Amino acid sequence: MKLIYSHLQKFLPDLKVEPTKLRDDLTMIGHFTNYFEEIDNEIVFDLDIKVNRGDCLGYYGLAKDLSVFYNINLISPFHQREMPAGQRGLDIKVTTNKVKRVMAVKLSNLKNSTSPSWLQTFLKCHGSKSINTLVDLTNYIMFMYGIPNHAFDTTKSTENLIWEINSKFKEFTSLDGTKLTLDHSILMINNPDSPLSLSFWGGEACAIDTSTTETIVELAIYDRTTVRQNSRQLKSVTEASIRLEKDLDPELIPLGFNHLVNLILENCGGQITSDVFDYYPNPIKLPEIEFDPIKPSLVSGIEISSDFAIDCLTRLGCEIKNKVSLSSRGDVDLSTEGFCIQPPSIRKDISIEADLIEEVVRFFGYQNIPINQPLTFKEISDITPKEIYLIESLKDQLVNLGYDEVLSWPLVTSPTDEKTVIKTQNSINSEAIYLRQSLIPSLNQQLDQYSRFKLPQPQFFEIGKVFSKEGDKFIEKNSLAIYHHDSKQLINDLKQLNLTVNIVDQNFAEIILDNLPKPDKYVPQIVHNTAVELTSQIITLDANLTLDTKEDPIVLIEKYSNIIGQNHLWRLIITDVYQDSKTNKYRYTFQASYFNLDDKSAKLLHLKSFNLLSL
Amino acid sequence: MNQNLETIKNQYQTKIVNLKTDKELEVLRIELFGRNGLINDLFSKIKDIPNEEKRQYGADLNQFKTELEESLLNQSQKVTKTINTKYLIPDTKYQMPKIGHLHPVTQTERQLNEVFRKLGFSIYNSPEIVTDEFNFARLNVPANHPARDMQDSIYIKEPEYLLRTQTSTIESYLLAQKAKELPLRAAFAGSTFRNEKVNRSNHFVFHQYQAVVVDKNVTMKDLIGTMDLMFKTLYGPDVVVRYRAKYYPEVEPGVGPDMQCFNCHGKGCPLCKYAGWIEMGGSGMIHPKVLEMAGIDSKIWSGFAFGMGLDRWTMAQKNIKDIRTLMGGNLAYKPNEL
Repeated sequence: MKLIYSHLQKFLPDLKVEPTKLRDDLTMIGHFTNYFEEIDNEIVFDLDIKVNRGDCLGYYGLAKDLSVFYNINLISPFHQREMPAGQRGLDIKVTTNKVKRVMAVKLSNLKNSTSPSWLQTFLKCHGSKSINTLVDLTNYIMFMYGIPNHAFDTTKSTENLIWEINSKFKEFTSLDGTKLTLDHSILMINNPDSPLSLSFWGGEACAIDTSTTETIVELAIYDRTTVRQNSRQLKSVTEASIRLEKDLDPELIPLGFNHLVNLILENCGGQITSDVFDYYPNPIKLPEIEFDPIKPSLVSGIEISSDFAIDCLTRLGCEIKNKVSLSSRGDVDLSTEGFCIQPPSIRKDISIEADLIEEVVRFFGYQNIPINQPLTFKEISDITPKEIYLIESLKDQLVNLGYDEVLSWPLVTSPTDEKTVIKTQNSINSEAIYLRQSLIPSLNQQLDQYSRFKLPQPQFFEIGKVFSKEGDKFIEKNSLAIYHHDSKQLINDLKQLNLTVNIVDQNFAEIILDNLPKPDKYVPQIVHNTAVELTSQIITLDANLTLDTKEDPIVLIEKYSNIIGQNHLWRLIITDVYQDSKTNKYRYTFQASYFNLDDKSAKLLHLKSFNLLSL
Repeated sequence: MNQNLETIKNQYQTKIVNLKTDKELEVLRIELFGRNGLINDLFSKIKDIPNEEKRQYGADLNQFKTELEESLLNQSQKVTKTINTKYLIPDTKYQMPKIGHLHPVTQTERQLNEVFRKLGFSIYNSPEIVTDEFNFARLNVPANHPARDMQDSIYIKEPEYLLRTQTSTIESYLLAQKAKELPLRAAFAGSTFRNEKVNRSNHFVFHQYQAVVVDKNVTMKDLIGTMDLMFKTLYGPDVVVRYRAKYYPEVEPGVGPDMQCFNCHGKGCPLCKYAGWIEMGGSGMIHPKVLEMAGIDSKIWSGFAFGMGLDRWTMAQKNIKDIRTLMGGNLAYKPNEL
């Protein structure tokens, strides 16, 4: 969601903070603001709006929050127009209960044209393309109030509009010319002969252009589940569908509607030539919530006065209906007073006391909660499942035997046993649709990978879940699989671990852990490691050094490790020490392995490090 | 030097100085340095040595080996020569001992477990194939709730069975199974699944860590203080973390911890998308509806929960650029720390 500072100030003329502070404050109160930038002399913020705050997909909702936070006035940015009555009514029908509210009116004798520059800039900042004044103003109102709206060219569409679940049209062409195939579940606005608009996307059939002189404009809110299903089904996401999928406030429609009509008449001239159509069959009922003003302190752990709590809720637009007596607080009996609070209609996310508490703490400021008072130790009975102790213990034992731990994909390409395999229904990764029944195929893949990188002498293990089904029952078990390049050593290690394991292909072994005896307690070791991401083959090169005196090989290894540096040195060993009986000199044969270097770079580093360039 | 090695070395050095001929010397050399000799045998036992002692043991063993070589070399000048000895150690390689490694994700998990065990937390787990009820409904995400859009699920049997999309699912099992054993403190790591195409930066399986407390009078101060302790343990005492309002359906109030970008120190850079901060997970006070659904009286008990991803942290720590490296990929471990 983009937010232009100057347009936010239309609702909040007293808002004067620096953009950096506004960015940080918006974030702290829950509207994560990634950054702000300057576009055509406008300061534009980029915000992530959370799914429960549909109201903040418009400037108005964000302005409401900020008016509470900064304790400044929220004003209407235009003079509300008295809508004329006693003219002819519109021929509009609503035949579905998926419409929560529609307001519409006809405007005539308009002069539509290219948008004024302020409007073009506004849309550019929002990443939208300017079309013409009339269309752009409908988009402007959507961004300002978070409520999508639409204008129909009545010379193309007729005035006879029907809000209905589609029953007769098979195809719909959107404003941008996209052709969509319809079925009988799509909420639409039609005339008797043709489909005009989806709930979230206007149609080509009645598109507004610069020759438009007659229009019906409407603001509407629908059943959000229907809009979401329609949007998913038609694989079409629009700015309107993003908003209509949220819980929007039908009570906000008159304000946005009045503002839209005002702007159109100001910018395109013309007159209102019908009564306002207002379909609102089930006005919303606001909840009444019992609120204990001490609770924000109890939940936050810091002192927040009751006065602040009530003042904050009042500024949010809550109605403090009356005082109520509270009988208990937690398991403590009380005889004290609380309040009955009715939240504002725009705040669909407030329905229980916990919601009110969150609002109070949010505006009091999370930054006022100390960060240096963690929980302290408390003796509580240990509920750790014993299998966790077994797994931790086995991992430590395997690491002590020199094995490296790997993790592999739990979803695999092919089943081990087709009869018992569990298949996923909707995995978008065609190469991974079955839940693994054994860890061995994954370890085999790991071995292939290591071979590709020429990793010397691999020995590794994995402990993870394996899956199967018996009838309708899904079964998952913990399994251990091991690989050792030396099969004899694998057998020795398994003996040492006291595991009776199936050996597979000599070098692999696997065992289900669920039936093994489990330790009552185990405190695992913290082992720091040297994991690296290999991007090319490991390159191993030899170097012979002749020295006059005998040196400690380990000192030599450390010396040349430091010369080579750790950035690319995988392993350094001395494979041979030779004394020439004639010269009495000592020859040391080094074997150095390099990682993440190409052949040429590895050779150069090798020759430089062992001072062999001149040879 | 290790006492046992010292004793063995002394015994052999006594033997060596008593050798008379190069043939006797060669026999003893093979006994010590041959393929099946003592030195190789002692090196093969390194795997039995606890990790924290391995390095010292390796160094002692190399010293042991060097000193015996020198003794043999000195004696070789004195014995009657009947053969020509060239190779001093033809059968043995000099190298640091092989050490095994835990996967870096396990490593981080253990660091976190240690923090929480010290506070009296148990470690917990739950199935990976879960029901819609435990993955969504019990976390205050009813059918058709837009919060479900935040998570594209992998279904086993739609709509009932799916692969868990978050470690909060373990929390819902925990609350249901232990509702009668309050108070409770538990922490857990787990694989979680989302229906994502696998590429350099996205994976369908990733790892999360979560901690849950249910007790009387638990507060946001407890939550934020404990989270801060965790971040300082992971990232060091100078880490700067801010705690802000954030929405998750299973908590209220929700808290979002952001760490000041370690790359730009808050100034804004491509890594933090110019925000100056990096989102570190989610947390909050357990929603009263979540407690009630588990059969816990939310008027008496309260609690907090927080979770964070382990993969991104591990990638940053190990300079791993491709998320696929972490699972069945080209992750490898240097065989020893030189």
